[in-house]
Amino acid sequence: MTAAGETANGPTRDTAAAPLLACAKLTMRFGGLVALDALDLHVVRGEILGLIGPNGSGKTTFFNVLTGLYRASGGRIAFAGRDITGLAPQAVYRAGIARTFQRSRLCLPLTVFDNVMIGNHLRLSRGTGFNVFRRRALRRQYEESVEAARALAVIFNPQLAARLFDAAGALDMIDRRRVEICRALVNAPRLLLLDEPSAGMTRGETRELMDDILQVRAARPALTIVIIEHEMNVIERMTQRCVVLNYGRKIAEGPFRAVAAERGVQEAYLGQVVA
Amino acid sequence: MTGTAASRVAVDSQRTDLVVAAAAVAAIGAWLWAFLATDRVGVLATLLAVAAVAFVLAQRAAPRYRRALTARPRVATSLVVLVVCAVAAALRDQSYPLLMLCTVLLFVVACVGLDIQIGHCGIVNFAGAAFFGTGAYTAAVLAARGVPHLAVIAAGGVVAALVGSLLILPVLRTRGYYAALVTIAFGILFSTFLEVNDALGGPQGLKLHGIDLFGWKLNRDVTLGGSTASFYVNYFVLSLALAVAAFVFARRVERSWLGLAFDAVRLDEIAAATFGIGVARAKIVAFTLGNLLCGIAGAVYAMMQGFIAPNNFTFGESLILVSIVILGGIGNPLGILPAALIIVVVPQKLQFIQEYRFLLYGVLVVLILLFRPEGLLPRRIREYFPGSAA
Amino acid sequence: MDAGVLAQYVFNGVMLGVIYAMVAVGFTLFFGVLDVIQFAHGDVVMAGAFVGLATYLALHALGIAAPAVVVLVVACAAGLGMALLGAVIARWLILPLRAAPAFNTLLVTLMLGSILRELVRLFYPNGSNPQPFPRLLPAASANLGHFTLRLDTTLLIVTGLVTIVIVNLVVRRTRLGLAIRAVAQDSETARVMGIDFERVVLVTFAIGSALAGFAGVVYGLYYNEVNFDIGLLLGVIGFSAAVVGGLGSIYGAILGGFLFAALQTIGSVALPVSSAYNNVFAFAVVIVLMTWKPTGLIAEPASERV
Repeated sequence: MTAAGETANGPTRDTAAAPLLACAKLTMRFGGLVALDALDLHVVRGEILGLIGPNGSGKTTFFNVLTGLYRASGGRIAFAGRDITGLAPQAVYRAGIARTFQRSRLCLPLTVFDNVMIGNHLRLSRGTGFNVFRRRALRRQYEESVEAARALAVIFNPQLAARLFDAAGALDMIDRRRVEICRALVNAPRLLLLDEPSAGMTRGETRELMDDILQVRAARPALTIVIIEHEMNVIERMTQRCVVLNYGRKIAEGPFRAVAAERGVQEAYLGQVVA
Repeated sequence: MTGTAASRVAVDSQRTDLVVAAAAVAAIGAWLWAFLATDRVGVLATLLAVAAVAFVLAQRAAPRYRRALTARPRVATSLVVLVVCAVAAALRDQSYPLLMLCTVLLFVVACVGLDIQIGHCGIVNFAGAAFFGTGAYTAAVLAARGVPHLAVIAAGGVVAALVGSLLILPVLRTRGYYAALVTIAFGILFSTFLEVNDALGGPQGLKLHGIDLFGWKLNRDVTLGGSTASFYVNYFVLSLALAVAAFVFARRVERSWLGLAFDAVRLDEIAAATFGIGVARAKIVAFTLGNLLCGIAGAVYAMMQGFIAPNNFTFGESLILVSIVILGGIGNPLGILPAALIIVVVPQKLQFIQEYRFLLYGVLVVLILLFRPEGLLPRRIREYFPGSAA
Repeated sequence: MDAGVLAQYVFNGVMLGVIYAMVAVGFTLFFGVLDVIQFAHGDVVMAGAFVGLATYLALHALGIAAPAVVVLVVACAAGLGMALLGAVIARWLILPLRAAPAFNTLLVTLMLGSILRELVRLFYPNGSNPQPFPRLLPAASANLGHFTLRLDTTLLIVTGLVTIVIVNLVVRRTRLGLAIRAVAQDSETARVMGIDFERVVLVTFAIGSALAGFAGVVYGLYYNEVNFDIGLLLGVIGFSAAVVGGLGSIYGAILGGFLFAALQTIGSVALPVSSAYNNVFAFAVVIVLMTWKPTGLIAEPASERV
């Protein structure tokens, strides 16, 4: 368990290897508004990348285009060597990209287990006939899934595992976030996109959640993560590299400390240089 | 020592709960028999008052006993089937109450289908009666051409599902209000079309013969050991079998990954899509399954009634079906039987309100939506395999 | 086709378009303010027509016969009566359910429509049969070849258009209209700015329903007959017209109303089937248009925030 204040140790970055995710000249236009402006961004296998920038700079839009919720107006996205530009969200998920949402999108009336299994649907689904008539096989699959969900939840919090069959709506904010991350992880994605995971949480809760994420990472060293955040402590602690967006364009890139000191970045956030 | 004693007490209390629950179901059955058998308004009114009071009083105690039943789905289903059969047996020589019971059971089949669409997958369908009617008219046309009746019943379902697939493109591309509008338009179009189209009987409708399944002629009175029972007992057996099958089917769908996909699509399409669930596919499956059930119910209904006309399948009738689903508890097929009994049987028995029934249904549903939107039996948290350790 | 016959069809089509537009504007107003579809709106039109009819019968019984007076009183009764009904519906059915899932509001208004239909059918004398609606407008007409230019229809068209223009002016040029538009755009901010949300909703429903009441009287004066179930068709077409024009846009609703009237007229002319199929055709057009352009011909500006 990493102590607070330490940065995560990722595997050695192999700059010669092809990046896991590469966006070239990615553009997203909403009528007259340009949300992403010829964005060039890449993510290296196994790294934790921070994506920061002032409000409205296009961070969530980038996630939405990446996961197929919006159709890019221009540019290309390559993931693990494959062109995934314009794919439907289901296909993007199948390729191995999972995400959480800025505004928590859990199905609150459903149980924690149900919510996590929504993420596992690709593996589980076998058609109407199987679900209705092959009940014994379904039961076996169900019991295996319960074990898998428990194992995943335990990484975060043993109490969470105990509440597997409570309604998601009965959980508090931090546990709901954990469930969202479990849902995103259950299908063993290659790339995990976290959209402001610390939103609405106290400092202590944020620290706990980041500990959990690092624990997950420790168990799955190949997992690549991109985090959108406004909490700079989180970025500093979790990431080795970050990218700064402003008006849909990349204005800086590099380790957090270096980027935070850049004049352009400070101007973007604050409007003027901090003395 | 205390461990085993404690667990033995627990098992005992579970057993008593189950016995109490079973007794309650039996009591409801007795009530139902009395309600169906009598014609005296005084008796009917008293029975209704008793039911209302019992319902209110049972609110506190009910969850415990309901759990005792739902933890053992097979026991519960067998119990209900037994009680309903007992009621039918007690009514065996009264044709009209039996016919009502059969109608209720067939409506249950259709409404279970509608519940899959509306309650689980969130597809608004105000054309339920149109799909029911499709099954009915298919049966009329095919049976007249001598097609074997088992195939006719199946065809009723299949044709309804096919007609539904015509509507699917609009339903997929639209959401919320739009889907409601498209299905309302279709529902009205269906009955209007039948009225002006003379090839299908026009406003006078079509006549049908009774069902003949491999020699079992359902329109023949049943003689058992000297006493004669109304031929509607045959239809009761068929309707009950269909109702149980539909119910078990819907329950299995709900308690499976398919049901989970439906819920995900209903609650949050975007999240569902982001995690790989095929939204369009889920909607198509739900819509088709629901219409299949409506069509099958319609086919049997047509052959049982012996006569169908366009004004049996109007938009108003679709609203009745939706009212049953809402009253019973959206998303919970268990509530559909009591709801169907209330909505179909009560106005028939209290003839003086028969004329006002659409008005009363409307007011009832409005009141439910304002004050108890979960309906009679609220939907419960999904338990894939109730009673299992997980 | 003879120019006169064509002109007749166009003229009748315009009349139909005015009626549909009046209904569609109501739908679009309600959606704009509360994101809600009032499925009983068509039946409010029907109720307005019956209120008008009942008022006429009352005036007739009282011996008041001066046509101008009668028309005015009938129209006002229908308008005010429906304004009241609209406000009551908003206050007791729509507002209480705004936190519940949208399906509940949808169903409540649908059932309300059913209730209105049944109330008229059951409690209006001989309600299940079509009721003759009096001819209150001057019957003068001019014959231009095959085309009969009727004065009463012209008056109806003009009146209908004027009421739509008035409503549009109210929404675009008055302070009340500004409040309505503010709430339609962002009810949270509007509230914070001091606008009484509930009052705006009630007033909007009153205005839209008053318009529906007038539409009912116009309908009755044009067809000289009203029936308890005219609301269903009017409601479905009015709603579709509003959707096709883009929910929330008054101009779109007007456009949609005329579009539907045009399609229906063309259909009844072009299709070689009996007029009984008119309604079938109308509903089929609704389904096709909803499939093709579910968000309207004028694109809906709002979209879901991800």
